[in-house]
Amino acid sequence: MPKCKQQQRSPTPFPARRAAPGPPRMRVLYEHEGVFIHSSSEDSEDQGLLVSGFLRIIDKDGEAIVDYKPLEDAVDPTNMLCAGKDSSSVVEWTQCPPEKPHRTVDQQQSCETEWDMVNTISFRRKPYTNGEGGQKNTNKWAFSISAVDLKSITVSAEGWTHVTFHLKDDTALPTIHFHQGGSEGFMECLRKCVCPSDESLFFVSAFNKALSQSFENLLDDTNYGLVQKLKKDPYTTTLGGFSKVTNYIYDAFRGSDLEYRQRPPEEMADLLGEVIPGLEINQQEEPGFEVITRVDLGPRPVVRRREPLTVEGWLKYQDPEGRMRNVPDLKKNIFKGGLCHAARKEAWKFLLGFFPWESTYEERKVLQKRKTDEYFRMKLQWRSVSEEQERRNSKLRDYKSLIEKDVNRTDRNNKYYEGLDNPGLILLHDILMTYCMYDFDLGYVQGMSDLLSPILFVMESEVDAFWCFVSFMDQLHDNFEEQMQGMKTQLIQLSTLLRLLDLAFWNYLESQDSGYLYFCFRWLLIRFKRELHFPDVLRLWEVMWTGLPCQNFHLLVCCAILDSEKQKIMDRHYGFNEILKHINELSMKLDIEEILHKSESICLQIKNCKVRVCLQAGVDVHSSSPSVTRQLLFLCAQDIPPSVGEILGLTAAYDTQTAECGKPDSSHLTRALHRPEQAVSNGHRHLTETPRGVCTAAFIS
Amino acid sequence: MASKSSLLKVILLGDGGVGKSSLMNRYVTNKFDTHLFHTIGVEFLNKDVEVDGHMVTLQIWDTAGQERFRSLRTPFYRGSDCCLLTFSVDDSQSFLNLGNWRKEFIYYADVKEPETFPFVVLGNKLDVTERQVSTEEAQQWCQENGNYSYYETSAKDATNVASAFEEAVRRVLAMEDRAEHLIPTDTVNLHRKPRSNTTCC
Repeated sequence: MPKCKQQQRSPTPFPARRAAPGPPRMRVLYEHEGVFIHSSSEDSEDQGLLVSGFLRIIDKDGEAIVDYKPLEDAVDPTNMLCAGKDSSSVVEWTQCPPEKPHRTVDQQQSCETEWDMVNTISFRRKPYTNGEGGQKNTNKWAFSISAVDLKSITVSAEGWTHVTFHLKDDTALPTIHFHQGGSEGFMECLRKCVCPSDESLFFVSAFNKALSQSFENLLDDTNYGLVQKLKKDPYTTTLGGFSKVTNYIYDAFRGSDLEYRQRPPEEMADLLGEVIPGLEINQQEEPGFEVITRVDLGPRPVVRRREPLTVEGWLKYQDPEGRMRNVPDLKKNIFKGGLCHAARKEAWKFLLGFFPWESTYEERKVLQKRKTDEYFRMKLQWRSVSEEQERRNSKLRDYKSLIEKDVNRTDRNNKYYEGLDNPGLILLHDILMTYCMYDFDLGYVQGMSDLLSPILFVMESEVDAFWCFVSFMDQLHDNFEEQMQGMKTQLIQLSTLLRLLDLAFWNYLESQDSGYLYFCFRWLLIRFKRELHFPDVLRLWEVMWTGLPCQNFHLLVCCAILDSEKQKIMDRHYGFNEILKHINELSMKLDIEEILHKSESICLQIKNCKVRVCLQAGVDVHSSSPSVTRQLLFLCAQDIPPSVGEILGLTAAYDTQTAECGKPDSSHLTRALHRPEQAVSNGHRHLTETPRGVCTAAFIS
Repeated sequence: MASKSSLLKVILLGDGGVGKSSLMNRYVTNKFDTHLFHTIGVEFLNKDVEVDGHMVTLQIWDTAGQERFRSLRTPFYRGSDCCLLTFSVDDSQSFLNLGNWRKEFIYYADVKEPETFPFVVLGNKLDVTERQVSTEEAQQWCQENGNYSYYETSAKDATNVASAFEEAVRRVLAMEDRAEHLIPTDTVNLHRKPRSNTTCC
């Protein structure tokens, strides 16, 4: 059993007093403040919680302890440890005034008292609630583990470095995030502590420079106001230090006798050479870990789109009881050509999931009746709030006030919503207010009126529009949440895709500090609603709702639009501002059919790649020197990158394709790639997150 | 650096619906659209102006006002030369929030000397008949919070819009003069990127 304890501590968790003569002898080997746990990803209850804390490595009578303590524990001056200015140096525990941490805390507090708004996200601290005795200093996020209990450590970087400890009993601790740097020192220190002969301990690295830059601006300002002050937080340093980590990995492997040793280098080399023909190998001068990124995706297939599906066409898919038959084919038709306007009112309810495809007329009648009642029950809730009540409900008041303002500024040039006292406006208002009752936590966020407007326009019914809107919001909920996690995820995914599809352009954007693709924010938040003419929005949305031809198709739509603009952007040397302006000004100038053509074509292009293998090591396949063996290891035992395949939901397709290939070589490779628990990678750039379980091949042909 | 052709970054902040985009559009294009969409994300427009003999390119940034979008708006605060704190005279809440906007700006723009940073306060929608904020109240706030210039504007009928933006330019130029007096050598203002037009580098 691991010695992982949820620390239950007396009010003085780290007894500085004990640092004096008494046993046990402890030394702080490493200490770093500003290490975070994102509770939202760990525990839905505490959504949005960012726990800031201290990370230490402590030598306790020769045993290396990794200790994480949230700030509220750590700020108690009596608990403070002093590791000296150079965190790598070893300093005996003393009781010295904690200058640096204190300053940090002051900053936060002053900020909190100054303006709640600024800090509703950042640095909320939550005391341990369900602990016995409710000890004030106990915090459920604190942990303390012995290095000997570690099975593996995952190190990834997406704008910052985060680290997950996997224990030998297969539990994983909450991921810790180095928003203020320091991971390098930590890894270095840990490396020194850990016995290299411990065969079961590997470092799985998934560094991603691709995104390091990208979210820097966004995220540090977003959630980590303090980080902003440390703008210079050295990514470069982190990445520089990365080579040390990979060296360590190698050292760790060398110390053990692994399976790869049994596989002759020549065999591996041949394997690779055959499976990945045309692979551009970029061997560094120094034996190292060059990243191979250049990939030829092959030509973009020409695609044909069809005519929109008519009402008659739609009805052909309906059986006498009203069930929709041959739904995959139906969806494909809609994907290929969209719907005639007359067919939309009915079809959208199915596409959005308000009506189940297999439901009969009768069942739908019952459903509609029930949903109508439900709607009006919720509508009554806000309508029956008195002025008195409203005065005491600031949230509702704010929602209401903003809805009133925004409804008056949504599609007012559209006939359906134009003119004074347009009944459409009242419906928009009422539906959005009712949605606040449906999901009060989310409430009303700007952009929702944009999403509702086309739906109401098509439905021409308050109740139907409401429920279709609810379904649409289910898909886009994350975009609007407090932390806007959906937006962040999508921007990261888009960056990954763009990087594969057009490295040169991606590099250009990166060089203009635009790698995080902020300029696509509006596209993604409201699914191109402001970019296209109203009828084109309807077309795009129904196409997207089919879920074809791959998941996250809207990201390929982004890629398609960017593909058409990249030449202009690069030729004219647009900088950060100009890119933003250029993209903003594309609004209402885009051609929907052209975009749909291109997006589908890009999707096929990616799908057509026969073998998707993510290469992350520079390999000289013709050499048989030992260093090559080592590099091959890195290549093969790669940690899965979520990669394009995962984003687009093509992982299954990959498996099938590989199997279909039937080549012994590729199955060899697959096997090599599937060696679990030896997951090691030195990917500087590709990866965004760690997969579960085994290592697998990912994108790229 | 030749401050003659310098680029001034000005940012409009204030609650959703107070008329930030309308003010920007009125000033830059001299148009007003009652049914203008509410802003999603961040936008900006450039305008060349001459104020007191100085040619400047005013780069006006317009943001989404809802609190939820703070994280996506604040990265754009950096490098601002002036901040236009905007409220609507028919919305007392938007007036009460001015202080919050000011703090948010100072915090995220990383303003070194908040006391001297040029803020200009705009009370918009002067054309509306039912006022909730009186001129006196607003002036008092400006006085107490840093002696800011206060303009009552109407993007709808163009009242005071140009004056307000020109005042912003004046405030920045005055700051610059002062700075030059303090450090009278060949210093480079790091915030200023002299640029003749937007497409050329």
